[in-house]
Amino acid sequence: MQQLVQNLLAVGLHHYLILAVVLFGIGTFGVFMRRNALTTLMSIELILNGGNLTLLAFARSHQDMRGQALALLVIAVAAAEAAIGLAIVVGVFRNRHNTNIDELNLLRY
Amino acid sequence: MTFDTNDLVLSLPLLFLTVAGIVLLMLDAFSRVVLVGRDHHLKLPAETSEAVAVPPPGSRNYLMPVTVLFLLATLAIIVWQAGSLPESTVLIYRGMLQVDRFGLLVAGVCVVAATFGVISAPSYMRAHRMEFGEFYALVVFSLCGMIILIQAADLVTVFLGIETMSLGAYVLTGSWRRSPRSSEAAMKYFLVGAFVSGLLVYGIALIYGVTETTSLHDIKRIAMSRGTAPLFYIGWMLLVVSFAFKLGVVPFHMWAPDTYEGAPTPVTGFMMSCIKVAGFAGLIRLLQGTLPMLARDPFTGWTFVLSWLAVLSMSVGNLAALKQDNVKRMLAYSSISHAGYLLVGVVALGTVGDAARGPLLFYLASYALTVVAAMGVVSWVGCDERGEERVRLSDWAGLGKREPMAALLMTVSLLSLGGFPPTAGFFGKFYLFQSALGDDKLLWLILIAIANSLVSVYYYLRVITAMYFREPAPHPATTPMQSSAMKLGVLVATLLVLAMGLCPSWLSSLCAAAKF
Repeated sequence: MQQLVQNLLAVGLHHYLILAVVLFGIGTFGVFMRRNALTTLMSIELILNGGNLTLLAFARSHQDMRGQALALLVIAVAAAEAAIGLAIVVGVFRNRHNTNIDELNLLRY
Repeated sequence: MTFDTNDLVLSLPLLFLTVAGIVLLMLDAFSRVVLVGRDHHLKLPAETSEAVAVPPPGSRNYLMPVTVLFLLATLAIIVWQAGSLPESTVLIYRGMLQVDRFGLLVAGVCVVAATFGVISAPSYMRAHRMEFGEFYALVVFSLCGMIILIQAADLVTVFLGIETMSLGAYVLTGSWRRSPRSSEAAMKYFLVGAFVSGLLVYGIALIYGVTETTSLHDIKRIAMSRGTAPLFYIGWMLLVVSFAFKLGVVPFHMWAPDTYEGAPTPVTGFMMSCIKVAGFAGLIRLLQGTLPMLARDPFTGWTFVLSWLAVLSMSVGNLAALKQDNVKRMLAYSSISHAGYLLVGVVALGTVGDAARGPLLFYLASYALTVVAAMGVVSWVGCDERGEERVRLSDWAGLGKREPMAALLMTVSLLSLGGFPPTAGFFGKFYLFQSALGDDKLLWLILIAIANSLVSVYYYLRVITAMYFREPAPHPATTPMQSSAMKLGVLVATLLVLAMGLCPSWLSSLCAAAKF
């Protein structure tokens, strides 16, 4: 019993990777299921965080700094992307007073 | 820790473009603005009473020649560098970028295509009342991202290049802020693009986890010596999927027609040509440059995956283009089918090898130039008095009588897209299919591609018949653009398309020499 508890408490590479997959999965689910542009943006951030966590976990287990550096770069790019994304959402809102992506249907055939 | 100043010289095109972008941004920031109380451009809510600073009409036109000069200077630097380059690939910035003839040639094609896109911009922006000076800086910054992607030697720079390129393109797509169509296009493009960058990061993370490196050369070495793990397969599959999204390949194409239709026409031309060229260059580096040993596995090799993507892309793109009544949207679907033809070339790279790279590059160059020329004519045809684009086939009826020059140039571009001699498109397809025939197993793929290009002739000819043989409406609501710069730009682009078709040997030998 004690052995089992100890095994469960020892957090290793696999735990981080599984958490990252879960984050990635939740994000992907959100992108496809939620209809509000802002919620979709948040889901995309979750996906990026899943990728970042994978990078950091591998960097830690390889004892290598390149993964950490790449994770920092990803965070910087994600910030730029969020800024542009919010600007686009504001642009859509000014034109239509709505950010529901199902109602974006001007461009069809 | 040393820093090699030679790196700066070798990355001169990139550095020059970055500085050019900053200069353009500064020029725009210090140019004249006027204060407008109730702004009709931005559709601000009624309760906003503060005055807004906007550029007065025509005040940013001078940025176009400046940008064109910068781009031509970049092209000159690229040509000079290609002349003085050593035979083997040079790695710069500690193995982040690689300088070689392949990269320089593709970068040159992108710069030329972007130049033609920029030339048609000022008159288009004025006619649609969307003048703003950041346009030019954004195009230049997006080009910087393309050059990073084209010269990438590391997964880090692949990611950085794709993102820099796309961030500029998102803003450009949504830059016509008064138009709900433009902002809708930007929203669709952005949501898909941001999702794809998530896939890309995750794929890179998995590959890094398995190989302990992000350098493309090290990954190649490790994959050859140690074989590959399942995680590695998932990682590169995610990379292929994200490139397929960026290039608008079926079944990852749903954003493409909407984005290309909704974006301002010069931006559409820029995206269709440059982003596709840069993306394919990145894909070639990733697949043929890094993972040639994974090409031929029966079901998991990338030639197998890509050949099916190619079949889907060609067929779906062409079938959807058949029923389009909107010239811009028709060209968007045709660009999806062209991505399919290009994928046939990438598949040939995997099975035939290096001999197929020259034809693929030729096709990329001919497609990029043709599409900017065609988009230039779409801008030329103009808009109605409300500033709406005239892109329906019925608006184009009788264009041969009203604007004989525009109709003639469009005919050449459409013939080139359809693959008729004596245009660039004919030799592009001819070389591509010929090189793919080097492997007998690809015969089925080439037959499908040829059948598809026969189908595509129908919808290209439909536009030509509308221009020449249909009677125009009695009072056409269209006012064509009267900008001599735009007309000259389209004319030069079309002449280049014809020149590449009449004497293709100079470009094809250049492409064949583009090694990495």
